Amino acid sequence: MNAPGTTEPTEVITRARAGDAEAWGELYREFAPAIFRFCRRALPTREDAEDATMDIFTKLRDKLGQYDTTRSFSAWLYKVAANHCWDMLRRRKIRQDKETDDLENVPLEHPDPSQLERLMEQRTSEEVRKALEKLGARARMALVMRYYSDMSYDEIADALGLRRAFVGVVLLRARHELRQALEGSSALAAGGAS
Amino acid sequence: MSEMPKGKMQHLDEMTCLMYIERQLDRARGLEVSAHTQECDACRTLLGALERESRLLTRAMMEEEEPLPSRLAQFQERARNSMQWIWGLVFGLAATGVYALYTGYVQPWQQQLEQAGFGGSNLLGLLIFQGAFWKGWQSMITLLEVLAMLTLAGIGVAFFRRRIRRGSALALIFAGFCAVLTLPTTATASETRKGESARVSAEETIKGDIFLFGDRVKVDGTVEGDVFLFGHDAIVNGHVQGDVFGFAQTLQVDGKVDGNIRAFTNTLTIRGTVAKNVLTFDERVNLESAGKIGGSLTVFIDYLNLEGSLGRDLLVFGKHVTISGKVGRGIREKGSELTITASGEVGGPIHYEGDTPAEVSPSAKLASPVEFKKLVHNREYRDAHYYVWRVIWTAAFVLFGMVLFLLAPRFARETISAAELYGAPIGLGILVFFGVPIAAVIACVTVVGMPLGIFTIGFWLLMLCCAELIVGAVVGNWILGRATDTWGMIGRMALGFVIVRIVYTPLAQVHVLGLLAGLGIWMWGMGAISLAIYRRFQPVIAPGMPSAPFTPPMPPNTTVGGALPA
Repeated sequence: MNAPGTTEPTEVITRARAGDAEAWGELYREFAPAIFRFCRRALPTREDAEDATMDIFTKLRDKLGQYDTTRSFSAWLYKVAANHCWDMLRRRKIRQDKETDDLENVPLEHPDPSQLERLMEQRTSEEVRKALEKLGARARMALVMRYYSDMSYDEIADALGLRRAFVGVVLLRARHELRQALEGSSALAAGGAS
Repeated sequence: MSEMPKGKMQHLDEMTCLMYIERQLDRARGLEVSAHTQECDACRTLLGALERESRLLTRAMMEEEEPLPSRLAQFQERARNSMQWIWGLVFGLAATGVYALYTGYVQPWQQQLEQAGFGGSNLLGLLIFQGAFWKGWQSMITLLEVLAMLTLAGIGVAFFRRRIRRGSALALIFAGFCAVLTLPTTATASETRKGESARVSAEETIKGDIFLFGDRVKVDGTVEGDVFLFGHDAIVNGHVQGDVFGFAQTLQVDGKVDGNIRAFTNTLTIRGTVAKNVLTFDERVNLESAGKIGGSLTVFIDYLNLEGSLGRDLLVFGKHVTISGKVGRGIREKGSELTITASGEVGGPIHYEGDTPAEVSPSAKLASPVEFKKLVHNREYRDAHYYVWRVIWTAAFVLFGMVLFLLAPRFARETISAAELYGAPIGLGILVFFGVPIAAVIACVTVVGMPLGIFTIGFWLLMLCCAELIVGAVVGNWILGRATDTWGMIGRMALGFVIVRIVYTPLAQVHVLGLLAGLGIWMWGMGAISLAIYRRFQPVIAPGMPSAPFTPPMPPNTTVGGALPA
């Protein structure tokens, strides 16, 4: 899960765990922008993202001792961030009723492939970001975890408190919501296949 | 595969396609999907569209649209880390401050007052500092000392943390706690007796404290510690060298008590000797002619009949008081009636605030005439005007809050966020509430610091006014959730503020509760404001913090476009 050309900052992590403030500063400088962006995508406001980023790094300091050095640090960091953001959202009861629907009974309608293809060609990143802001908390959280921080289905299920089998459903529903937000109507998502 | 409505060919459903591109299908199913897409244009197009959608999502999320906020760029974990233990320091300093205040100011004043003849007549001093009711105040002061020492120990541990392993530090702390905890256990010993009739017999001597629970509880022997009585009828015939705490329907003291008596009873009768003070909440108290109290008597009662001898002051909150015995010093009464009979004798001033003037026998021996003041019952809260003014003030405060929130929405948001941390703002609030005025007064003592002192006091008062608004905003957030815009924040503040006022208005009529609730609100709000200010001015330790350039540190490396089975 590391950027190309970058390696896990193992030595820095070891020093940070030993209480080296400079090493901690290095870790912060390296990972804070990515974590802020993660929070910015996952949380409703910029202020929330700022607060969450600071809280995550504060929490991280205490939790650094629990980090298993044989695993990816960035993956672990995203897991901490995802848990924190989801806790934040859950505490505020932002999850809406539709998100607590029975996932097993979700109708999975077939979109029109060519229409979907066209939509994806026409939309810009900025439009997608704006559409993401309109999604429900769980849908957005799931998309961010999967497509920003590349978390596995198991990790997503763990963070959202879902059964693993429903992660795909949540992601698909999130995509449908996103398409609706991009289209401004539900025509595409509900359209039939040719 | 699902049957699609527009054609006869069976197509893959979207979930299957998604699972396929996400590599979540087992190999056999993956091969089936792969084979199908070789023949089906529609499904192949759908797979392509889904992949494109995944890429678009990743790109949109990874792209930098705004720089790292300066607040985060300046955020340094070294400073934040200090916040981990700074609250311990804050509490410790607050405790030390209170202790210093007590030893430096309150205690000398109290001694001076006592020397001037006012000792024991001040309820606050009596309750809090003389320990007339709760002996534990002394322990509280000791606790404050312990807290101050623990703070110093904590700082020491933090200082040596680099040199000693975390486990060692924890062991050190726990060992310290254990040492502190073991001290009182070796110093005290207590015994408990329960039953229909629990007693200490005449020939017995109890070395420590004793707790007696029963319908009838009785002390005929000697107790070298304190006696705690819980029962219907309680009698002390023997000798108690400590204090007597009574929770009973009737408490009768015929023996000798070397300490104090603190009682919650219906009727308290004293025929024996109490060397120190008596404080009691009763319907009726009788100090009979044989009874003697060496210290002061503080009573919250309906009826007091004093025929015996009282060494020092009498403080009464009650209805009917009759003095037929001797009061060594003054009387201060707030009640309905005061009668001093011919055998009554009072050695100090008499301040009486009541409904009717005191009835004093011409034969009574008084050091000075009774100073009477007609009692004015505070029925403000029964007056409609009171509520009208409360509404007006509430509206004014909401307006004030609205202006402040509009002037500094970002700071208001930060302050509310700080208030939602609960522990930290309340801890800091205690320090600010007590510490800032003291610091301002000290600053005012020097001519150079006077403007600073006045400014500090002014700012402190402003924080005091804003505190309730902040607490209101938090309450509003509890109800409606956090707002994303300024007007939403103002609406929540207004709603929460009104609720706080509605709850606080009746609570304020209950003296102690009202005071505590008020202090709690002020400290919480002031602490939140202070914390928000602190965060604003956090030191920048690493000025070279990058804020704008985007360097993707962790690309998603999604499974999109993964190898399709042939």
